Amino acid sequence: MADNKQPACMTCEPKGLCGGRGLLTLKEGAWANNPLAIQVLGICSALAVTNRLENSLVMGGALIFVCVGSNLLVSLLRKVTPYRFRMIAEVSIIATFVILFDQFLSAFYPDMSKQLGPYVGLIITNCIVMGRAEAFALQNPPILSIVDGIANGLGYAVVLAIIGFFRELLGAGEILGREIPGFSSWYTPNQLMILAPGAFFALGIVIGIFNAVKGPGPEEKK
Amino acid sequence: MKNSIYTLFYAGVLGTVCSLLLTAAASFTAPYREANAKAEKNRNILGVLQVKYPSDASSQELVKIFEDNVSLEQLGELEMYRYVPPQDSGNKETVAVGFEGPGLWGPVKGFLALDKNMRTIRGITFYEQEETPGLGGEIASSWFREQFAGKSIFDEAGKPGIIISSSEGSAPNKVDAISGATMTCEKVQAMLNEAIKGIVEGKQ
Repeated sequence: MADNKQPACMTCEPKGLCGGRGLLTLKEGAWANNPLAIQVLGICSALAVTNRLENSLVMGGALIFVCVGSNLLVSLLRKVTPYRFRMIAEVSIIATFVILFDQFLSAFYPDMSKQLGPYVGLIITNCIVMGRAEAFALQNPPILSIVDGIANGLGYAVVLAIIGFFRELLGAGEILGREIPGFSSWYTPNQLMILAPGAFFALGIVIGIFNAVKGPGPEEKK
Repeated sequence: MKNSIYTLFYAGVLGTVCSLLLTAAASFTAPYREANAKAEKNRNILGVLQVKYPSDASSQELVKIFEDNVSLEQLGELEMYRYVPPQDSGNKETVAVGFEGPGLWGPVKGFLALDKNMRTIRGITFYEQEETPGLGGEIASSWFREQFAGKSIFDEAGKPGIIISSSEGSAPNKVDAISGATMTCEKVQAMLNEAIKGIVEGKQ
């Protein structure tokens, strides 16, 4: 979570959301500094819950919710939070949102809650959430922090969905638990993709492709 | 000093607000979670009693199917669920008792279904277990559970008990253990024998 440089637009004339920084923040979080594909954070959950597309989508949604909520609160409280207490405050806020989501899931979607098991609760320790609170929300106004939460949550969710899509497609020959006409009939599911090694292969390939498309980062160009 | 007091005050307020929020959420969702847990338990009992029900039944429907088909009785100190099928359905009358005990990593809970004479096992299910996936966790897989069907809860000499062992030979009350999961198997055997003891005592 080293990257904390202000977007270049800081000195420009104010235009758009938060003086043009909204769009920059969105791009930065979801694409240029994608938490999973570029910073390679939150790998544990990305490997564990991507065996089905449905699980990946719910997990992505959970992270967006937690990231937006915690960023907003941390940002709102940033001027009154004692500096040396800030990390404890961040973790308490994050834990509150995670438990709220977990309770909601176990009450209304018990099957999904069972499938995701401990991984919803483990969002508390997800470096992406804590990292954004610490590196961004603590220094930026609430609206911008919400944008940053959405961007990073989305960046995580989209990569998760891509991995989940291919793992379910190749591992089970289905998508969202449904057979695909013209594919499921002849395709023999490759169990490896459902198991842990398949997650590593899929994640590695996605990170590779992502980096190839995005091109080298600023420090590699030097 | 002033700073420390402010920090303490801040921590107190933040902690109170967070815990109030969580308490509110927990008490709001509690009835839903209880209903889900009850439906899950009912689903397991219906499964082990081999009562047929639609796989997409909602929690409320499950509770209703359960109440229509299964009656709860007291057998000694055990709670016993009895399923008496309709006359011409071809299903057999079955009873089930719960069992639970410590596994290797956490509690293991399940139901044991017996025929109406309470001598022969008709099925077994585990609805809660956290054993090592791939090793002890295999107790929940169908190949392990299916072994129990048709086994007796008495050995050849008429002594109650079931044996989960990887040793050679077969006995009417022996099922094959899982390789690499000796501890889990021993613990499951102990909790099953505890339940069987309760059944035998309750019958007298």
